[in-house]
Amino acid sequence: MDKKNNKNDQLTDWKKKFEAETKTSSADDFLINTDEDIGIKPLYIEDDIKNLNFVDVGSFPGHNPYTRGPKASMYINRPWTIRQYAGFSTAEESNNFYRKNLEAGQKGLSVAFDLPTHRGYDSDDEIVMGDVGKAGVAIDSVEDMKILFDGIPLDQMSVSMTMNGAVLPILASFIVAGEEQGVAVKDLSGTIQNDILKEFMVRNTYIYPPDPSMRIVADIIEYTSKEMPKFNSISISGYHMQEAGADNVLELAYTLADGIEYVRAALSKGLEIDDFAPRLSFFFAIGTDFFMEIAKLRAARTLWYKIMKDFGAKNEKSLTLRTHCQTSGVSLTEKDPYNNIVRTSYEALSAVLGGTQSLHTNSFDEAIALPTEFSARIARNTQLILQNETGVTNTVDPLAGSYFIEKITDEVASKAWEIIQEVEELGGMTKAVNAGIPKLKIEESATKKQAKIDSGDRVVVGVNKFQNPKEPKIDVLVIDNEKVREDQIKKINLLKGSRDNKKLEKSLNELTEDAKNGNNLLYSTVKAIKNRATIGEVSKALEDVFGRHYATSVGVSGVYGKYFEGNKEFMHVTKKIQDFEKSYGRRPRVLVVKMGQDGHDRGAKIVATSFADIGFDIDMGPLFQSPKDVAKDAVENDVHAIGVSTLAAGHKTLVPELMNSLKELDPKNKIIVFVGGIIPEQDYDFLYEKNISAIFGPGSNIIESAEKVIELISDKNNQ
Amino acid sequence: MELVKKVLNNDRASIAKAITLVESSNPKDKEESKQLISSLINHPGHSIRVGFSGPPGVGKSTFIESFGTYLVNKNYKLAILAIDPSSNITGGSILGDKTRMSEISKSQNTFIRSTPSKGSLGGVSYGTREASIILDAAGYDFIFIETVGVGQSETMAANLVDIFTLIVGPGSGDELQGIKKGITEYADIFIVNKNDGDLKLQASKTASDYKSALSFYSKQDNQAAKEVLLVSSIEKQGMDTVIDTINEIIKFNKLNKIFDLRRENQLSYWIKEEIRNQIQSKLDLEVGNDTELFDMTKAVIKGEISIYDVSDHFLYKFLK
Ligand code: B12
Ligand SMILES: Nc1nc2c(ncn2[C@@H]2O[C@H](COP(=O)(O)OP(=O)(O)OP(=O)(O)O)[C@@H](O)[C@H]2O)c(=O)[nH]1
Ligand SMILES: [Mg+2]
Repeated sequence: MDKKNNKNDQLTDWKKKFEAETKTSSADDFLINTDEDIGIKPLYIEDDIKNLNFVDVGSFPGHNPYTRGPKASMYINRPWTIRQYAGFSTAEESNNFYRKNLEAGQKGLSVAFDLPTHRGYDSDDEIVMGDVGKAGVAIDSVEDMKILFDGIPLDQMSVSMTMNGAVLPILASFIVAGEEQGVAVKDLSGTIQNDILKEFMVRNTYIYPPDPSMRIVADIIEYTSKEMPKFNSISISGYHMQEAGADNVLELAYTLADGIEYVRAALSKGLEIDDFAPRLSFFFAIGTDFFMEIAKLRAARTLWYKIMKDFGAKNEKSLTLRTHCQTSGVSLTEKDPYNNIVRTSYEALSAVLGGTQSLHTNSFDEAIALPTEFSARIARNTQLILQNETGVTNTVDPLAGSYFIEKITDEVASKAWEIIQEVEELGGMTKAVNAGIPKLKIEESATKKQAKIDSGDRVVVGVNKFQNPKEPKIDVLVIDNEKVREDQIKKINLLKGSRDNKKLEKSLNELTEDAKNGNNLLYSTVKAIKNRATIGEVSKALEDVFGRHYATSVGVSGVYGKYFEGNKEFMHVTKKIQDFEKSYGRRPRVLVVKMGQDGHDRGAKIVATSFADIGFDIDMGPLFQSPKDVAKDAVENDVHAIGVSTLAAGHKTLVPELMNSLKELDPKNKIIVFVGGIIPEQDYDFLYEKNISAIFGPGSNIIESAEKVIELISDKNNQ
Repeated sequence: MELVKKVLNNDRASIAKAITLVESSNPKDKEESKQLISSLINHPGHSIRVGFSGPPGVGKSTFIESFGTYLVNKNYKLAILAIDPSSNITGGSILGDKTRMSEISKSQNTFIRSTPSKGSLGGVSYGTREASIILDAAGYDFIFIETVGVGQSETMAANLVDIFTLIVGPGSGDELQGIKKGITEYADIFIVNKNDGDLKLQASKTASDYKSALSFYSKQDNQAAKEVLLVSSIEKQGMDTVIDTINEIIKFNKLNKIFDLRRENQLSYWIKEEIRNQIQSKLDLEVGNDTELFDMTKAVIKGEISIYDVSDHFLYKFLK
């Protein structure tokens, strides 16, 4: 019998059996839809990988279109770099932590700065009181930077720094710290994130408006291409988009579209493409959809090759996409937290099968606090075990040729390409970001995900199914931010007392001039930092010229409500709200706020829009409010309740301040205050003692939360 | 009334409570609300009420943030009533004005209140007029009322203020149609926003389009000239010309007694509206919930009586 016919017979036979086993009418219609709106078939066959749009099945690793990897030998020659993102408290403490990790087998460093540093404020600034050293390490000047890398030779250690808003003074401090360690600028290696577009979309540590911010990005690409040949000038990041709620296609498309925009910005400086393109690097998130994530990385390389070829790049390093990956934090749960070790392991495997160049694996206490030494060790060991015990490093791109993988790689690429074209039609990513479109798309996707979890359509083990009746108690890293702040202020005062103020002022003036006249800003920033300007002083000098950016989006309403149309529990709460309106002459009104420098707005926006869908009147505060401003808003709008969303560990400072401000403004106020977000259980009593009415931690079901809130409000107003 | 005293003392929480009271849809609150307004109206302040209307997304809130900050820096006390149109199927709403007014809301000299319009036509919400009486009595120099301009709404909003301003964006020809239809009747100032960056050229073109459209409009002698102004709320440009223009128009109107005349007209409009509202709610209460209407409707369907027989019957009964 002819081989082909035989296959056809087999297919018919398979369909019949499949339909019988699953009791469905048609195997062809049997699709499982992913978040990306890709229909996953129960079976992929040879026919599926004929006539693909982007993928050239059978191409080789280290060969275009580089689907199978940027290098021919991949992990055989050198395994991926284990690069754990970390930073907390003071430079001294973080330095200590880094050195221990390096001894234990970690290969590269990755610095997490605290939020005041990200946003260009010194630790002694009033408005960052609750945030110093809390969610990263506090760096106020080059002196801190020197302490941070004390005993770590910067000519040998590659250092990645997540810095975008205050990128100029931080990169300058790194350069000067190197110099004062005796390392020439040209010998520094590592990566600076320097990806401002995604800050406006999702990460929220911007300082200046988009246009001057884009110029800073270009200045840094120009400087590094001339002075720092071993340094990656940018890490074009999709990671944060997925963490903010984007599906894989959105993440990929917007990241590559950002890349295109940065290439254009650099070209506009008069650089040649191959002067800088070899130093563009990428950063993706790896979530729980195991195969889709692998497909995404393969699609990313495939598309970037096409994009760079169109830009006229010739150097192979320009044509290949190299990426760092981090497992997904948002997939990890506060409930039954040891499950997170398992989740992270699968995600790590997915990243490696996708061919990442370096990897961060999250700790199991991700949804509770910054990692402890213990949880960080397990996270690191997850990678050490993968590298040393499983054999995954022995073969390049082992999944190539799988009908399924090749097909979805092509589908992800095709869908992403469509979105990239849409962005191009809008005039590129800066324009799209200015118009707020990517942000809304991502928020919509995030809200859908929440609805899927709350409805139980998506299972999260330990959260909406298979709950652990006996939640384990775990140790939590505690940072005394009062103490960190005091230490930092001492160091700032010391610095300010010992520097040559004349020289400093002169260099700050030069910086301001350069900001106005268009000269590359990094050269003058390095001078100012050498003269002991603080991070805050440099940022302020630039702000005086550029102004500060304020975001205005409030999220997309209607998405959550639509998902629950006709749902009984949902309508039950809606009814309660309508009853309240009848009795009190208005709907229950809740002010949802973010205080301090915490820019995690995913939860706040989802809750706000969903609550509005359920029937509340929701006042949405802007980002970065002070407790005092919140109290004023709450009182003026006579809200029934304030919902504080706090994820960056500022709650123990900011929430009590809010309570005091409220009392001051209205001693007899009936406003109830509840808190949502990352609150370690250890802090519950502290908050309840401050008269907080309820706490909604990660994984809270929104409909249940809404019911609790309307009950609390009703009780309070019945009194 | 304790509340009256506190409002007059500019107590923030009490002003807020007073506004809640006048906005309440609960009939039980009506009496108290009436008392409150009746007393406060006898303690008039010196507020100038300015309305800002315009299509969604044109930059009304951003303008108020910039212009308001400018005024507050000059030591004016400013109250803002933002009527937010957003509301969805279940009736809830997201009030996002504060994300656009983050600077100005920090000032101790401002009072900012958002109100969901609950789909009420006209962009003004139930209680807006009363709220501005409260804020006037509380001593604010300016009261800004932000409403979304759709169709009929401008007339209603214009009826609440001393100066009515229409904010438009660069190159929106649609509103020009409106001009011919008579927006000019009640708009005193036209502000073309977003006069910045790539939009600059479009913005000045739009401004001159407005100017030429206005030139066809015949001004009566004792009327202030209508002005077209160019601003950028984002770059905070043009704020001085806006306040100068407002001051000039107010001065002119006061001199020519238009200022008082407008307020008198608005008062009689309010009285009529109040009557209408009361009749309406009484009507709703007395007619329609009873079986009589049900039975008579059936009779109409059967052709036994005409609908006018029914309506006359109820009207007679109601007026009796
Ligand atoms: C997503 C995420 C991000 C995204 C944020 C995107 C965005 N626009 O929001 C990105 C990648 C940008 C990010 C960045 C950072 N992150 Co982050 N991030 C997370 C992560 C993984 C998930 C948070 C999330 O969005 N969850 C999904 C939403 C829907 O859940 P939620 O916010 O918890 O809300 C639910 C409940 O809490 C509750 N709720 C929350 N708010 C409210 C309000 C009301 C009114 C009600 C009723 C209920 C309610 O209901 C919601 C629905 O269930 C958490 C860890 C985790 N797993 O929780 C870390 C985490 C919050 N991040 C952390 C840190 C340190 C950072 C950085 C500061 C790191 C750095 N140094 O650079 C940066 C800077 C961010 C910034 N500008 O502030 C730390 C904070 C440490 C701490 N608290 O001690 C965490 C805890 C991770 C960790 N363990 O290290 N992050
Ligand atoms: N370029 C430019 N954009 C502006 C200006 N003013 C406002 N915008 C932008 O226009 C958008 C809408 O601004 P809002 O102030 O919310 O507009 P609004 O008229 O109050 O909108 P609604 O209240 O929703 O009707 C925002 O993205 C602003 O950033 C301006 O002067 N120049
Ligand atoms: Mg507005």
